[in-house]
Amino acid sequence: MNIVEIKNVTKFFGDYKASNDISLAIPKGIIHGLLGPNGAGKTTLIRMITNIYMPDQGEILVFGEKINRDHQNQIGYLPEERGLYKKMNVIDQLVYFGQLKGMSKKDAQAKAVFWLTRLEAKDFVNKKVQDLSKGMSQKVQFIAAVLHNPELMILDEPFSGFDPINSELFIEIILDLKKSGKTIILSTHQMHQVEQMCDEISLINKGRVILAGNVREIKKSFVKNNLNIEFEGNFQDVNIGNNLVIISKSEGKAKLKITNPALKPNEIIALLTDKLQLTKFEIVEPSINEIFIESVKNSQN
Amino acid sequence: MANSKIWTIINHEYLKRVKSKGFIIGTLIGPLSFILFFAIIIAVSMSMGESSKKLAILDNTNILADNLIKANKDIYFKVNKSEAELSKEVLADNLDGFVVLNKEALDNAKVTVYTKGGGGLGFINQLENDLDKVLREYRMAETKVDKTLLARINLNVKLETKKINESGKTEKDNAEGMSFVGYILGFAIYILTFLYGSFVSRGVIEEKVNRIMEILASSVTPFEMMIGKVVGIGFVGLTQVAVWMVMLFGVMAVATPLVMTFDKSFNKAEIQKIENLQQMNKMPMQSGNQAMSPQAKSFIENIPKISIWVGVAFVFYFFMGYFFYASLFAAIGSAVDTEQDAAQLQLPITLPIILTITTMPQIMGQPDSTFSIFMSLFPFSSPITMITRVAATSVPLWQIAASVIILLTSTVGAIWFAAKIYRVGILMTGKKPTFKDLLKWAKSN
Repeated sequence: MNIVEIKNVTKFFGDYKASNDISLAIPKGIIHGLLGPNGAGKTTLIRMITNIYMPDQGEILVFGEKINRDHQNQIGYLPEERGLYKKMNVIDQLVYFGQLKGMSKKDAQAKAVFWLTRLEAKDFVNKKVQDLSKGMSQKVQFIAAVLHNPELMILDEPFSGFDPINSELFIEIILDLKKSGKTIILSTHQMHQVEQMCDEISLINKGRVILAGNVREIKKSFVKNNLNIEFEGNFQDVNIGNNLVIISKSEGKAKLKITNPALKPNEIIALLTDKLQLTKFEIVEPSINEIFIESVKNSQN
Repeated sequence: MANSKIWTIINHEYLKRVKSKGFIIGTLIGPLSFILFFAIIIAVSMSMGESSKKLAILDNTNILADNLIKANKDIYFKVNKSEAELSKEVLADNLDGFVVLNKEALDNAKVTVYTKGGGGLGFINQLENDLDKVLREYRMAETKVDKTLLARINLNVKLETKKINESGKTEKDNAEGMSFVGYILGFAIYILTFLYGSFVSRGVIEEKVNRIMEILASSVTPFEMMIGKVVGIGFVGLTQVAVWMVMLFGVMAVATPLVMTFDKSFNKAEIQKIENLQQMNKMPMQSGNQAMSPQAKSFIENIPKISIWVGVAFVFYFFMGYFFYASLFAAIGSAVDTEQDAAQLQLPITLPIILTITTMPQIMGQPDSTFSIFMSLFPFSSPITMITRVAATSVPLWQIAASVIILLTSTVGAIWFAAKIYRVGILMTGKKPTFKDLLKWAKSN
């Protein structure tokens, strides 16, 4: 069953189309990466999935039903713009948010303590939010999104503000949630985390889905035209012509893109060894980062 | 389900505020500052006619000066200097001015006063009144009018108002006292509506600025959010009013017996006499009240008897007025990012309240005029003016019914209108909207 099904959804703000005929299906139990440049319309789409906005055209199904306000209790949302009541203490705040998701006070209290313990933040139970560090309030915010054990979680930039250790902790928790059958929509600009965690992605630009599907399949569908080399000698001496483009270059290392598809690997090696002593030659599939940049650029034209 | 979420919000908004130090301090200090405020108004209005100025009297008639000084010895004093000397003193600020009384004053009541200029209307009036009185008495004496006759002519009217009640008896009508009570109650509703209305808009802005809105919006509907906040804060207001009422009744309960005991101890001898008389005449013992001195009796009679209906009307008009205005305040809070921006947009709402409070003296003075009736029906002013009329006069039932119906309908309309703006406003950030934008939002679906 698809947990989320978006069918030809369009949303206007005045004359501006924030979502333009979007269709998307997200099956149960996966991590779906929602990608796109700033202002692409991700937040608008998320707000429609959380029943904050209503689509002007098309429809949104969650858990197989047309979305309505009762579904809000089964959805957890960590917005990109974080917010808590500054003068409330951590536990009261979490209990309040839990109650607004339909939990009983007692249940919310128990779950809040459970999560604070799991996130190594139990000492902060009675602290006021204004006295917390940024990382700590991020944890509280995350708990607010998962406290009511929702089937669907939408996490917008969940790692911002975390040090590498905490980031690892959160990756582990999110993967655990997936293992227990939850569906997660992850919106982030951290492409290496997308590679590490996401099963599927959709790429949005200017209100349209420009690329969607399984991460492995998307990668396969892109031509292997990335070249990593290590060498001795001066790269400037090589006449790369129209055959190659430099992506990045440092002392004795370069990342290149093969721009002439007719060129065979052996011919490339010949071209390079003419001036350089090669110590490494590797043709690799593109990263999600490159796919992102390339797709967005192409859709622009 | 939906209802339980509204209750969760009401509970949250209520407890958060009632538990705060600000609320406890405000509840205790509120009545004190209210009393102080009215004490200042009364003190100022009583001292209006009085002038703290010093005027020298240069009396060339040798008749009037003493009488004038008798009329007000704080202001006038006699001098024996030339006009030129006095002028110098006025210019040197040693003297506020001087009055020259010549034969002309006696003949055709013409008097000249010299000052540095200005001084205000109150001071001129005072001088004129005093001179009028002194000169009139002089002219009366001149024509040999009898002293007792003079006293009788100068007698001022003391009007006693009696109210006829349904059983046909008359009771003391405290028209002046009651319209003052009405004014205070109307003023209290004005202050409370403004105060709690601004709590609502501040609360909404806080949730917007701290980016809590998006979490709330993903859990409850904007309508639930708004109603929960408005009702929660309204209960805070009711709690405060209830505490104040208990305090007021407490003070009255203590004050009345206190007046009686003090009175008794001062008049023990007198009471003894009365009791002896009663014993001698074998009259049945009467209640303790009868034994009160006339002064104490009039004191207690002068405490206006506030009927329970005035209390009911106060709570109703406070709550409805609050709802009417607070929902509009919520809408404006939702549309802006800072309180400064809110202040500008609030003008169309605050203007009617301020206009209402400035017309209060007229409503107090003529509670049955067409203007007063209109103001007590118009929903923007009725919460403040109707309570004043209810206290000050007997308002016909149809007017109360009409006012209640109009206010209820308008409040439902205001909530509906505000909810439409609120729904759009809460997630809008950055651009400062105009009042026109708000109307556009209200029209959108």
